[in-house]
Amino acid sequence: MALVLSGICVIQFAYNIWGGPISQACLDRGIIPLTPNPNGPSHGSEGALGVCHIVEGLTSVVQRATLVLALALGALVVVVGFASYRRMRTRRQRDHVITGAVFGLQAINFGVLLLIFASGTPEKAVSQYLNIHALQGYGPVILRGMKLTLELAVGSELLGIAIGLPLALLVISQRRAVRAPARFYINLFRGTPLLVQLSFGYYGINLGLGMHNSTFTIAMIVLGLNAGAYLSEVFRAGIQSIERGQMEAARSVGMTYLQAMRYAIVPQAVRRVIPPLLNEYVILIKDTSLVVIIGELLGHFELFAAGQQGYSDTYSATFFVAIAIGYLIITLPMIGVVNLVERRLRSGLVTISTQGGG
Amino acid sequence: MTNPDGSVVRLEGIHKWFGDNHVLRGIDFSLDPGDVQVVVGPSGGGKSTLLRCVNLLELPSQGEVWFNGQDITDVRTDLNGVRTKIGIVFQAFNLFPHKTALQNVMLPLLKVLNIDPREADVLAREQLARVKVGEKADAYPGALSGGQQQRVAIARALAMKPELMLFDEVTSALDPELVGDVLQVMKDLAAEGMTMMVVTHEMGFAREVGSSMVFMDGGVIVEQGDPRKMFANPESDRLKQFFSQIL
Repeated sequence: MALVLSGICVIQFAYNIWGGPISQACLDRGIIPLTPNPNGPSHGSEGALGVCHIVEGLTSVVQRATLVLALALGALVVVVGFASYRRMRTRRQRDHVITGAVFGLQAINFGVLLLIFASGTPEKAVSQYLNIHALQGYGPVILRGMKLTLELAVGSELLGIAIGLPLALLVISQRRAVRAPARFYINLFRGTPLLVQLSFGYYGINLGLGMHNSTFTIAMIVLGLNAGAYLSEVFRAGIQSIERGQMEAARSVGMTYLQAMRYAIVPQAVRRVIPPLLNEYVILIKDTSLVVIIGELLGHFELFAAGQQGYSDTYSATFFVAIAIGYLIITLPMIGVVNLVERRLRSGLVTISTQGGG
Repeated sequence: MTNPDGSVVRLEGIHKWFGDNHVLRGIDFSLDPGDVQVVVGPSGGGKSTLLRCVNLLELPSQGEVWFNGQDITDVRTDLNGVRTKIGIVFQAFNLFPHKTALQNVMLPLLKVLNIDPREADVLAREQLARVKVGEKADAYPGALSGGQQQRVAIARALAMKPELMLFDEVTSALDPELVGDVLQVMKDLAAEGMTMMVVTHEMGFAREVGSSMVFMDGGVIVEQGDPRKMFANPESDRLKQFFSQIL
């Protein structure tokens, strides 16, 4: 019984330690606006008050005391935890104690980092990276940037799939004459930087040959052509992962090669490659930031360009923090979907067919 | 099409190399309508390769395969058309896992024979009922037992109304208690007069159902004849040795 209690206690401690510095900082931030501190960053730049609040919180005595306390408790928990976990009676208790000790370790790491940060010149860093006021007025630009980034990514992903699937079928052909051009295409787009492809597509082809397509169109086509090369490799791997017996079964009832591909092989392959397909999509979302080198899209900025514009207006790196968060807002759900789909596929919705011998 | 000897299938001088591996070393035989030819022999003796040469899933390196008086090893042959008349059932079932049992049977009817969907549905259900998995029509292969999957595979082949059925060790991947159902379906088929070629390790089935038997080893036909006589009085030492090992 005592052991159970101690196990729970350890976790409680660990949670308190984790919560300590954060809630304390929040409290501090809440208190300070009542007595504004003029000793913040002395340049009197925009957003000084906000920065000041954060710095005040960071350097306050209460914060330091909490951190020191947290460090002590964390160390204690780690020592107690690692010393006692072998004596726990059930696996569950043991897990709890170990989890608690790990939390303790993390508390120590986090606390030490914060102390070092606060003992330096935090106001510089904070005014550079966390100057919320600098972002004022740029909200719509950043939101529109996110929208444009998403549109660009969706459009080029669809184009990439439309190119990648037929390309994959060509690449697995028995005939070298069919394979060779497809290979060449894939190697060309995988072997050269996207930056070069975008520049060539826009400056070289669009402007060079006097065509008048919008930058958005060019960006989408080039990204799609590029994605097509990568996606064809994904599809190829998927098609080749389907058991040989499937093709034999389809051919043996009189289907042509293309019918077998269309009705038997490709539907299975596509299901199997959904996770890597979504993964390529996440990569594509991030690659859209390279479009910045060919300029505005339809008079608007995609997300990265929006951030860069903000930076050159204000010289606050806060914009890069903001657009990084913007990208995460788009990509994290996608990554979540990838993981979900992977788990669904692995849980047995896929074939159990085995290859026969003889 | 002229078919002088009336055989369904006739193999002449079949050789097959996989790289340096000489798997089939000159095979000749023919099947008449209604024949049930069982092919037995030790593993690696070329039985499955021979069977797969009959519908040209494996291309013979040398020799000719005649089907209903037509040389199907001739490159000008409409091989897809010929294959609709030769059903094959595999050891690993090879059902399409993304389609239900019914859809598995219907797919070739719709896409190869271009039968109207409603008619194909009726035909497919008939075949599933014939192999006694009619109530599993809407189940996906993953939800069926091995024996049920194999019977769906047989139904898929039968739905094409083949003139010849090839069975490639169709019970080898099944749990022992499921083998009986599949063998029963094959027995019924033989009794209905289907021409069949059966590669199998089921000696009881070979003796009971086979109208002729081929014993293969080392890529050649060592002995062939009436299965009951061969079981009673094996002539070659190799067959005697084979029986002594497995019976």
